[in-house]
Amino acid sequence: MTFLIQQTLLYAVPLLLVALAGVFAERSGIINLALEGIMIFGAFVGVLFVRLMQGIPFFQNAAASKNWLALQGMELLAMLAAAALGAVFSLLLSFASVNLKADQTIGGTALNLMAPALVLFLIRVIANQNTLGMERGDASSWFMIKKSTFGVERGTDWGFFGETFANQVYLATYVCILLFVVLSILLYKTKFGLRLRSCGENPQAADSLGINVYKMRYAGTTISGALAGMGGFVYALTTANCAATGDVAGFGFLALAVMIFGNWKPLNIAGAALLFGLFKCIAAAYASIDINGDGVCMLATAPISAHFYRMMPYIITLVVLAFTSKKSRAPKAEGIPYDKGQR
Amino acid sequence: MKKFLAMLLAMTMMFSLAACGNGGDNGTDNKGGGADAIPDTMTSEDGKYQVAFITDVGQLKDKSFNQGTFDGVKLYADANNKSYKYYQPANGDQATDDDRYDAMKAAVEGGAEVVVCAGFMQEAALKKAAAEFPDVPFVFIDGYPVGLDNVAGISFQEEQSGYLAGYAVVKEGYEKLGFTGGGGGTNPACCRFGYGFVQGANDAAKELNKTVEMNYSWEFGATFSASTELQTQISGWYSNGTEIVFACGGSMFQSVAAAAGANDGLVVGVDVDQSAESDAVVTSAMKGLSSAVQWAVAKVYDGTFSDIGGTGTALGAKDDAVGLPTATWSMKTYKVEDYEKLLAGIKDGSVSVDADYETGLEQDWSNVTLNII
Repeated sequence: MTFLIQQTLLYAVPLLLVALAGVFAERSGIINLALEGIMIFGAFVGVLFVRLMQGIPFFQNAAASKNWLALQGMELLAMLAAAALGAVFSLLLSFASVNLKADQTIGGTALNLMAPALVLFLIRVIANQNTLGMERGDASSWFMIKKSTFGVERGTDWGFFGETFANQVYLATYVCILLFVVLSILLYKTKFGLRLRSCGENPQAADSLGINVYKMRYAGTTISGALAGMGGFVYALTTANCAATGDVAGFGFLALAVMIFGNWKPLNIAGAALLFGLFKCIAAAYASIDINGDGVCMLATAPISAHFYRMMPYIITLVVLAFTSKKSRAPKAEGIPYDKGQR
Repeated sequence: MKKFLAMLLAMTMMFSLAACGNGGDNGTDNKGGGADAIPDTMTSEDGKYQVAFITDVGQLKDKSFNQGTFDGVKLYADANNKSYKYYQPANGDQATDDDRYDAMKAAVEGGAEVVVCAGFMQEAALKKAAAEFPDVPFVFIDGYPVGLDNVAGISFQEEQSGYLAGYAVVKEGYEKLGFTGGGGGTNPACCRFGYGFVQGANDAAKELNKTVEMNYSWEFGATFSASTELQTQISGWYSNGTEIVFACGGSMFQSVAAAAGANDGLVVGVDVDQSAESDAVVTSAMKGLSSAVQWAVAKVYDGTFSDIGGTGTALGAKDDAVGLPTATWSMKTYKVEDYEKLLAGIKDGSVSVDADYETGLEQDWSNVTLNII
């Protein structure tokens, strides 16, 4: 059970954050198809940052002496770096779709095509191969919070909650969940959030009340880019051993699906991301999931083909979408460039 | 003006990152000795590269198969003042025979006097290229004769190496093992490694009079690359009590090592001594890629290539081409002396290791509960 919850969180959290990134852009009226591209870019920036930091003796000593405060600080800085450059990258989309009034779908697709190419090119320049990994060590020994991090023996029992949520976890996971909550409140309970959402529903009305639609759309897309960039790095850190390959296994597109699935509302998105994460986890590790802790792996002994488990995430998506899509309601003005003259 | 601004924005970003990149690169160079001290790319004065290397799928720096083979190329070239270059077939993991052929052609046109090709998947491309350039010798690592005199097929008896590793870890006291192999079960080298690993574990368990468990999987490694799914799967194994996993396939090691690091599990490396890559590595099932390449390339230059050209050479324990790393030995119960005794047994034939994985693997093992996933 502990294993299942932990792995589900690892898959769900990047999806959660990136789906929220999509919400911020779309609620302000810009379709951000570039989530995948920004994630790829963010993952690259974060990994590069980690590599550069690893060259500094201070952090090498921190790793050797298990100074976890310094290491977790480094992880947070890398997340910030990924977010910052993800935001910069997304400016390209904002510029194309707000200032140039270009087709947002095409603009996003262009970024999706550009990001892997650019990242692979840079990785080749830097590392002379197709993967940019950590300079030394692996992600779990540097950044993962384990019992040994606090100097506690491996065998000590922390009870179910301690074992599940405090052992073998990444700080990034919790930072992302916290960010998700804070930003959801920002979107729904503040003046800024209301203004942002109004620009995605009826920008003409918003403008007539003195809201600068362009600025709001820039703000939405930039927040979106920052979140997607950070999500990309968190994905690379927690599930790919802190390596950037110019690929995030389609998580950006999955996040778009999660967003639609969650009806552009944070709570629904959280549920959708968890559901999807759970089935992704089952697909990969069905053979060793022991739900009730009796040592029998039920799914492996059941006479069901492995291929079925691997199909599950996608079948579930289809089924749930089929049932929920009738109620799904996208922001009204998304995808339409704002034209002041058109009232 | 706006277009200009957008361009400027893009350019600034690229240059600032490229600048970071150079900084990072300088940090990585010139550490360690041996093959790592020789740069991967060199510039020859006449623009010709005498010793060419064509990579298999996966990364050049996979810290395993490609890298081990390329180390041989670099070491030979460095010691004999030859120029060298590696060619990575286009399209990465999805490289087609045409991509590989193009790489070989580029190598020959780049002045190659010998072309080292890594991986059995190069066969089709090799047949075409070697027939087209009959004067250029090709060394086919992990390969076999293809019916052309200028192709030397060099293979390894990986089952012996896997056997040694499987025997060692069970003797060391581990009872729950795992094996995850690359190539989706179609790569003969990985199949032999895995089959040998099971045989070794079985024999050691028989001597200790106990039964060991083993998870045996070809899932998630078809392209020899690290993947999220693989990491999750192996994490699942470890959290279910698996103590040690044999990561048999290039960059897959990254995923297995990450899972091991998170769960305090252990790893058996492959192809080269991988103990420097992660603290979790107990031992590595090695094959002498680097020395085999140097040996074969030397034959080209001393004029005896015809000895191995057109035929297949299988290197095993008798040629000191397989084994475990004794210099970085970390096992406590199972000693180096025990290992050397076993190795001598394989050499003189008193311990026999079967290589026929197609019929042999799915038998009823006396002391291994084999759980094929």
